[in-house]
Amino acid sequence: MVEFDSLVNNKIGMHLRAAGEFVKLANKFSSEITVIKNGKKANGKSILGLASLAVGAGATITIRIEGTDELAAKEALKELIDQNFYEE
Amino acid sequence: METRKVSDGRQAAEGVSPAEGGREEIVRHGISAAPGIVIGPAFVMRPEIFSVPNTTVPPAEREKQIASFKHALAETRKELIQIQADMSERLGEDHARIFEAHLLILDDVMVVGDTEALIRSENRNAAWAFQKVISNILSGFEDIEDEYLRDRFTDILDVKKRVIGKLLGKQKRKLIDPSEPSVVFARDLSPSETAQFDRKKVLGYATDRGGRTSHTAILARSQGVAAVVGLEDLSARVRSGDPVVLDGNAGTVVIHPSHSTLDNYHREIKQYKKLEKELLKLTGYPAETLDNRNIQLKANIDLPDEIESAVAYGAQGVGLFRTEYFFIAQDKLPSEEEQYQIYRSVLEHMGDNPVTIRVLDIGGDKIADYLHSSPELNPFMGWRGIRFLLTRKDIFKTQLRAIYRASAHGSVKILLPLIVEVDEVKKAKQICAEVREQLRSNRFRIDDNVEIGIMVETPSAVLLADALAKEVDFFSIGTNDLIQYTMAVDRGNSKISHLYQHLHPSIIRFLKMTVDAARKHKIPVSICGEMAVDPMSTVVLIGLQLDEFSCSPNMMPEVKKIIRSVTYDECKMLVKRILKYVTTEQIERDVTRLLRERCPDLAMFHE
Repeated sequence: MVEFDSLVNNKIGMHLRAAGEFVKLANKFSSEITVIKNGKKANGKSILGLASLAVGAGATITIRIEGTDELAAKEALKELIDQNFYEE
Repeated sequence: METRKVSDGRQAAEGVSPAEGGREEIVRHGISAAPGIVIGPAFVMRPEIFSVPNTTVPPAEREKQIASFKHALAETRKELIQIQADMSERLGEDHARIFEAHLLILDDVMVVGDTEALIRSENRNAAWAFQKVISNILSGFEDIEDEYLRDRFTDILDVKKRVIGKLLGKQKRKLIDPSEPSVVFARDLSPSETAQFDRKKVLGYATDRGGRTSHTAILARSQGVAAVVGLEDLSARVRSGDPVVLDGNAGTVVIHPSHSTLDNYHREIKQYKKLEKELLKLTGYPAETLDNRNIQLKANIDLPDEIESAVAYGAQGVGLFRTEYFFIAQDKLPSEEEQYQIYRSVLEHMGDNPVTIRVLDIGGDKIADYLHSSPELNPFMGWRGIRFLLTRKDIFKTQLRAIYRASAHGSVKILLPLIVEVDEVKKAKQICAEVREQLRSNRFRIDDNVEIGIMVETPSAVLLADALAKEVDFFSIGTNDLIQYTMAVDRGNSKISHLYQHLHPSIIRFLKMTVDAARKHKIPVSICGEMAVDPMSTVVLIGLQLDEFSCSPNMMPEVKKIIRSVTYDECKMLVKRILKYVTTEQIERDVTRLLRERCPDLAMFHE
């Protein structure tokens, strides 16, 4: 299991479109991916689950990944968030 | 008889306690679309009114339910991909990307997995299970403070609506009438939706979209129902049952009015009723200027039962009987016999006074789903009016047969919509002749002298007026479309509707050209657009020497009051002057001066 914190720093936070990018990527991995914000957990492969966490701009989230490809998943997801979900 | 609806507030307001529970008063200014002040409860039309049955299914059926759920998801996916492709073509890829989120929702592990699990564990039908899962998810959204994210509710609701729509079989947005007389709120109302309401249950219309001449506005005026349009997002901020005031005169809507607001409105309603009473006294008098120029004042009607109020307000005929609404209000074409009965009853009701029936002007914003298989990108410049009729000759002929058969029972004229060239008139006249011939050989009794006229509502028709006048018996100027096409302004778009000006110099010049051509060929000209009821325009139209005004029955007393307050000579002088002006401001300045002098009470009322 790997776990890391990430700062969501895009313009309007993890709205549906950004969450969509996250989910699309998460679904490429077989590992279980959980996103945690203020103690609230959501399935990282569910766009609605993610959206319901209401991750606004400037929020910090914890991502927990467990499975055979957890390291690759960590790299990819970290990159996505750092690149502000490839907006603009 | 239909009176101009001035609330009857007191009755309607019963059970509505102002500012109940300390709810804050919301005042919103929109565009005044139809006059009248009403007080009553709100009735909010939400776009999705599906009722999902809560039925259990036997265990053997469960897999079938899951299969149909998956099928609905797949169908919705196809639909969304199609929309996305269309949108990407029209608006660019960036706009289309919003649907990617929609598509992901369809695939969502929570949505799909939980729904399947629920069907299995609860033995319920797929639509119910899916709805339940979505509500659970949405409830997780409730305490989200971020406004942008909260707005994403709509995306989820949109997906939900589409999937449930598929599961329940295609269902059209079904109208439910309010249970008590109410002010109807909606984002937008299509003409067919407005036409379907039980009018006794509607005190007024308040829509987020639309301008003064959108069809909701026109229909509201013709129904004598107050209306305010262009209210931005108000329909999302009001709930069914909320007490509201709708002031169609000022274009204002108040939700949860305070005691003092209500008092003010009750006072205003009283004054308004007094003015209306004065106007109604004019019903028995002719529409004649002080120096005895007589103007025919006729009624525009959409529905046969409006004929009673037309007669009550002293209409000298029907100047425009629009026939779209009974084509739109039902799911199939009205038969020849159905149409014949409608036309005949209107003709008989009007006796010797002529009824001008405009043949089907479908298209634009008046769409019947069963006639238009695919939406047009630019419907106002699309397959509408005479263009539609000349391709669908079957529909045209059926309507003409009904009109000619009815011609034996009164005085009727035929009006052709959206003419842009002489050839269209010739072709339409040819079809009229064929229909007459056929009916005669079938031994129907018909009037041999039914006049045929055209709508002058495109710049092309104005420029060709001289040639068109040779072909027809009368002109009827449709100012709504003429202004829209001349000024290149969408009349329903509140952002640019300020460009939609009755008294724009180009419009005045076009009207003059049309009248001149008609004079030369000695055919009468009437005006049937909303311009006829704009008090500022009335004096100009008199001066332009229009022979006939046609307007919503409830607006007739006011038009008559203006006609009876001025002289023909001074209006002609006015027109001579304003034809030299190049800005609307200059024209309006002169018109206001005359109007203020001659009818101070009306002018003040409308400013």
